[in-house]
Amino acid sequence: MSDAIGEARIKVPGHITRGDLITVNSIVSHPMDTGFFRNAEGEPIPAYFIKEVVVTYGGDEVARFEWTSGISRDPVVSFTLKAEKEAPLTMVWSDNKGATFKQSVNISFAAA
Amino acid sequence: MSYFDDVPRRSFLRACAITAAGLVAGSSVVSRLEALNRFSGPEDPEVPNEEIARILDRISGGRPIRRGHVSLDMPVVAEDGRVVPVMIETDLPMTPDNYVKAVHLIVDHNPDPLLAAFHLTPALGAVSLSTRIKMKRTTWVRAVAQTSTGELWADYSRVRVTLNGCG
Repeated sequence: MSDAIGEARIKVPGHITRGDLITVNSIVSHPMDTGFFRNAEGEPIPAYFIKEVVVTYGGDEVARFEWTSGISRDPVVSFTLKAEKEAPLTMVWSDNKGATFKQSVNISFAAA
Repeated sequence: MSYFDDVPRRSFLRACAITAAGLVAGSSVVSRLEALNRFSGPEDPEVPNEEIARILDRISGGRPIRRGHVSLDMPVVAEDGRVVPVMIETDLPMTPDNYVKAVHLIVDHNPDPLLAAFHLTPALGAVSLSTRIKMKRTTWVRAVAQTSTGELWADYSRVRVTLNGCG
């Protein structure tokens, strides 16, 4: 992925009915440097990685992931969600340099 | 959106994991590490060193970690250790009074073995997590689920790594 660091996307199904168990897919652009590699000049590349992801649904925290640099570059994560209400689903990724990246999608129900 | 197309292959994996577990159990290493294997049943991978023992001890609070109710799907062979797909599922309840509150992912021989912890709530409705991880070399991977009632359930996969993904 060639997006700028912190570019993030969340994908949910296009057609959701109340009570559905949906799969949420997400990706954020980030190098996830371990700190174990060196660049072409032989200088160490410092550790630089997403360390926490907080998922909220309608303002309630529904999941929180603690990560290390062992997660692959441009981290993907997918998880399920019980679609009980029409509300925003928000993810906030925080890296070890203090930056945060936020993305949201609206969970809305298809007309019956 | 090819990022979302990683679909691990379950039944093949299961068969290989069981075979590998048998092999490991057969080649019992007589050493002081035996003492660390209080965590594992006869079919489970050995705890390879004190660091893994400490991690398991901290997660479990000394309670037994049993195999079952968790499915850890990973490739048998990972050609590129920088990108190894992982899928974790459980059939444990996700109700307000009994749910999976955390899933810990441990890679035995990685520089930082406790790779990730996923803190969950009943609002998720189920446990079906997938991501992609880095692996330094061939080793066991452990997924340990912790329920709100204090139970610990796990599954293990041995993954053969061809290209070191950790540097």
